[in-house]
Amino acid sequence: MNQNKNQIRRAAFLTLALAGACLAGCQGNPAVNAPPLTAQQAAQPVKGNITVWSWNIAAKALQDIAPSFERAHPGTRVNVDLTGAQMQTRFMLSLAADVGAPDVSQLQITDAPHYMATGKLADLTAVAAKYQSDFPASRWAECVMNGHVYAIPWDLGPVAIFYKRNIFTEYHIDPSTIHTWADYIAAGKKIVALSHGKTKMLALGVSGLADMFEIFLQQTHGQVFDDAGRIAIDSPQARKALELIREIHNAGITLDINAYGQEWMAGFNDSTLATYPGAVWLGGIIKDSHSKFEGNSTRWGVFRLPAIERGGVHVANLGGSVLVIPKQCANKAAAWAFVKYALCTKQGQLMQYEKESLYPSFLPALKSKVMDKPDPFFGDQPVGRLFARDVQKIWRINRTANWAEAESYIQQDLSQWAAAGMPHDHLLKTLAVSLHQRLDVPMAPASELSQAAPEVQQ
Amino acid sequence: MNKAQKPNVMALRLATYIMLTLLAVVFVFPFYWLFTASFKTQAQIFVTPPHWIPSHLMWSNYTDLFQQTNILRAFFNSVVTSAGSVLLSLFLCSLGGFAFAKYPLAPGNNRMFAFVLGTMLIPGAVTLIPTFEILVHIHWINTYWALIVPGAVGAFGIFWMRQYMGANLPDDLLAAARIDGCSEFGIYWRIAVPIAQPALAALGIMNLIGSWNNLMWAFIVLRTPSMYTLPLVIYLMQGEMSTPWGMLMAGGVFTVLPLVIAFLLFQKQFVAGITAGAVKQ
Amino acid sequence: MNTSSIPGGNQAGGSRINWQALWKYRHFYLFVSPFFILFAIFGLYPLLFSLFLSFTKWDGITAIHWAGLYNFRLMLHDELLWRSLWNTLVIGVLYIPPMLILAFLFAQILNSQWLKLKSLYRAAFFLPAVTPMVVIAVVFSLIFSSERGVLNYVLLMLNHVLPFFHFKPIHWLDSEQWSKVSVAILVVWRWTGYNMVLMLAGLQAIPIDYYEAAQLDGANAWQSMRHVTWPLLQPVFRFCLLLSLLGTLYMFDEVFVLTNGGPGTSSTNFGLYLFNLSFTDFKFGYASCVAYSVAIVVFGLSLGINRLNRRNSEGA
Repeated sequence: MNQNKNQIRRAAFLTLALAGACLAGCQGNPAVNAPPLTAQQAAQPVKGNITVWSWNIAAKALQDIAPSFERAHPGTRVNVDLTGAQMQTRFMLSLAADVGAPDVSQLQITDAPHYMATGKLADLTAVAAKYQSDFPASRWAECVMNGHVYAIPWDLGPVAIFYKRNIFTEYHIDPSTIHTWADYIAAGKKIVALSHGKTKMLALGVSGLADMFEIFLQQTHGQVFDDAGRIAIDSPQARKALELIREIHNAGITLDINAYGQEWMAGFNDSTLATYPGAVWLGGIIKDSHSKFEGNSTRWGVFRLPAIERGGVHVANLGGSVLVIPKQCANKAAAWAFVKYALCTKQGQLMQYEKESLYPSFLPALKSKVMDKPDPFFGDQPVGRLFARDVQKIWRINRTANWAEAESYIQQDLSQWAAAGMPHDHLLKTLAVSLHQRLDVPMAPASELSQAAPEVQQ
Repeated sequence: MNKAQKPNVMALRLATYIMLTLLAVVFVFPFYWLFTASFKTQAQIFVTPPHWIPSHLMWSNYTDLFQQTNILRAFFNSVVTSAGSVLLSLFLCSLGGFAFAKYPLAPGNNRMFAFVLGTMLIPGAVTLIPTFEILVHIHWINTYWALIVPGAVGAFGIFWMRQYMGANLPDDLLAAARIDGCSEFGIYWRIAVPIAQPALAALGIMNLIGSWNNLMWAFIVLRTPSMYTLPLVIYLMQGEMSTPWGMLMAGGVFTVLPLVIAFLLFQKQFVAGITAGAVKQ
Repeated sequence: MNTSSIPGGNQAGGSRINWQALWKYRHFYLFVSPFFILFAIFGLYPLLFSLFLSFTKWDGITAIHWAGLYNFRLMLHDELLWRSLWNTLVIGVLYIPPMLILAFLFAQILNSQWLKLKSLYRAAFFLPAVTPMVVIAVVFSLIFSSERGVLNYVLLMLNHVLPFFHFKPIHWLDSEQWSKVSVAILVVWRWTGYNMVLMLAGLQAIPIDYYEAAQLDGANAWQSMRHVTWPLLQPVFRFCLLLSLLGTLYMFDEVFVLTNGGPGTSSTNFGLYLFNLSFTDFKFGYASCVAYSVAIVVFGLSLGINRLNRRNSEGA
């Protein structure tokens, strides 16, 4: 009797549990790829919930503009999801499985081509092509693949030199006299000599080499991949970039610590480092975290990126993000309306700039008077304007689907080059071959690479 | 001679006790730290010197946890997927183990069983990607099935049940049941399953630990917050820049507690379950 | 399935499929079929598909490209693969000896007759093995915090007791030298109890007569451990070692949550490397190739070790 009861209970439990699992399991329905977005659809009033994946201050910036977007589009609700761990991996998994991707997602500009190549992002050409002239040409090109627009540029990362006014004053250096990298090195030598080696000009650890290389490659108008996607790194431009890095390294003005590490951050507030070459967003990091480290209060300023030679370009770009809409998004019209509001309107871009210092790549926003505002943190310098200069001259780097991967190999090999004092040619040759092997991409013929760089596209 | 040694032996035992207790404290400390941190503010968690004992029990981390995150839903998801995989696996493994143990004359029994054992050599790392692809194609990504079905019948479970049933299920009993007109499934369900309960408990607990704690597969196949299990929610609470540590700790307590309670109640079965793994050598 | 049918072969029973026997034992086939069906779908097919993928380039999304032996050549140049294998080895060397020694010690002590509160001690050591790794790794990242972690605090406190050591705060998680050590500490903490329980089971299986016999022969505690316990525990020990080695290779949660392989790639073990290759880079072809190759090498090695072991024990 007792045993019988036990059996019934067991059987009931099992059935119940399996039934429960069945019911609950059926919830996750397979996503169907909604049809592409058309201009007519985009013109209709939109409503519904939009989920956005983003991180850090970028996410905060979207939260800042969400209320005004919701006011302008009654019936919409923007939900910015900040849970950041492994966001880009989870996004790719959702793209691969056609389920679970947000309606709008942030991607880093360097990663974006990889996602665009999957064919799982919505083609925005029909609605977004008209904004092409509103963005720096180089940045827009990075959002286009095979003639289709898959992403909209968000923030831009123009590079300049953040310097400490108190140190420059102490050693009588006028930043306005630094035009070229040679001037910069000379100033550095002076600071190192006068401070008896206590203060170095910049940090140049192994992990910072790739950034430096990318800056110089843009200034020399070099490429990693040519327009046809072939490997083009073994070029006179890249050689010049390496020469410059080694020149800076050998001048004795660098401190061998890694960018974004604890020591590097601690340098914000002491006198170990005089300058930090970096993109505009580095300013935000300095503002946010300098007070966390001990030391006397540093007075900061910014001067423009030195050119390779007098009259050369004073701009380069590091980083920045884009917003994309996955194909599986069910409410593309609303998602696009939000992206358009956030990135293709002066109002949206400037609000993000003013509240979270997210530097716009939308040209009309860069022309605004807001950019002329003096920044008290930088000694009342109108920093926004400084970074906006010549953004149209930023050199277009050909980012292919395996850009992020190539970047990691370049970084690895650069650190070996620096550590072993390898000749430039040797590095570039081995790098070209190893990129060819590891990415399975053909190499551009040497004859094409030895030619002088083409003129800057205006 | 024995008496002369006694003080020495006592000293040695005392030293052993002290050492063992110290090490036990070290081993339990992370649990204590988790538990106390769940009652601290962010600042209190990171203060030096550390607050060994929280000044007062602050419940706001727990209220935040239940208000700001979908932790109850995650708990439900964890319960459903764990229960589902444990029950399904127990059912199928015991059925298979029963068959292998009690139909020795069935043609191919030995060879098929050897094959089952052979499948244990296949590392999961090799089958991970294709399994993901299969689930994508049958639209099981982001469903409970993805966590329950692929690992439902382990070769080890079958082996374990076969050994147990082979040793503890008298053939006479089965023969008698057959004479009484009991069906083959009835023999399994009414006779084999009740007798194999200790083995089922051990196997079930082993599976429970595995599925309750599963992070990697959950990370891969669960795509929306409404489907997340507890480990995944805990993992994703760590932001790129800012992590709500207090709330994270409260979530950790919530995740660990069911297993710790189960462990303290059923320590014997847990140990048996873990030891089960050692039999296969 | 059970016999090979040779056409026109001899009439001796068993050379033809015995349908009658198959029908008689239909329940057997029915009962074992779930395993074989599920294995076919989630074991055999993936195994073959993965083998095929090893010769292709595929991101899991766009079309599959046949790549021939490209992936295999790539492995030779893949520094990260070799580094992750090296890291795996280092982490293994760092944690396996202390873990197995501790586990053996605990098991030995817990097996003593005189010990009181056995289940309490056992619970304390064993509890880590049943808790979700993700939670524990998060707690450890607090404990390991270089600025404000408890571990560094205790280390600095030790300076008052042991002034000659001059302990400095250790960057447990954000220095390349220490990240592997941190992972090793976490693993020791997590898996010692598990191994202890296995060894305890092994110890309890040793008949008490053996010890009594050894005692009669005048063996002291050390000698009976050396000559009775140790040889008889060898199989368990070997099993623990094998599990740990494979565990280190395919370990994932511990590294994923605690360091995510960093800083740099200093704590990336093979398991995390393979995961990143598969689900961060989405190189399904190459990842399959690496997974297959390593699995085959590991299989070959363990076969070799097994044979060596057998020869040794036969020779002894």
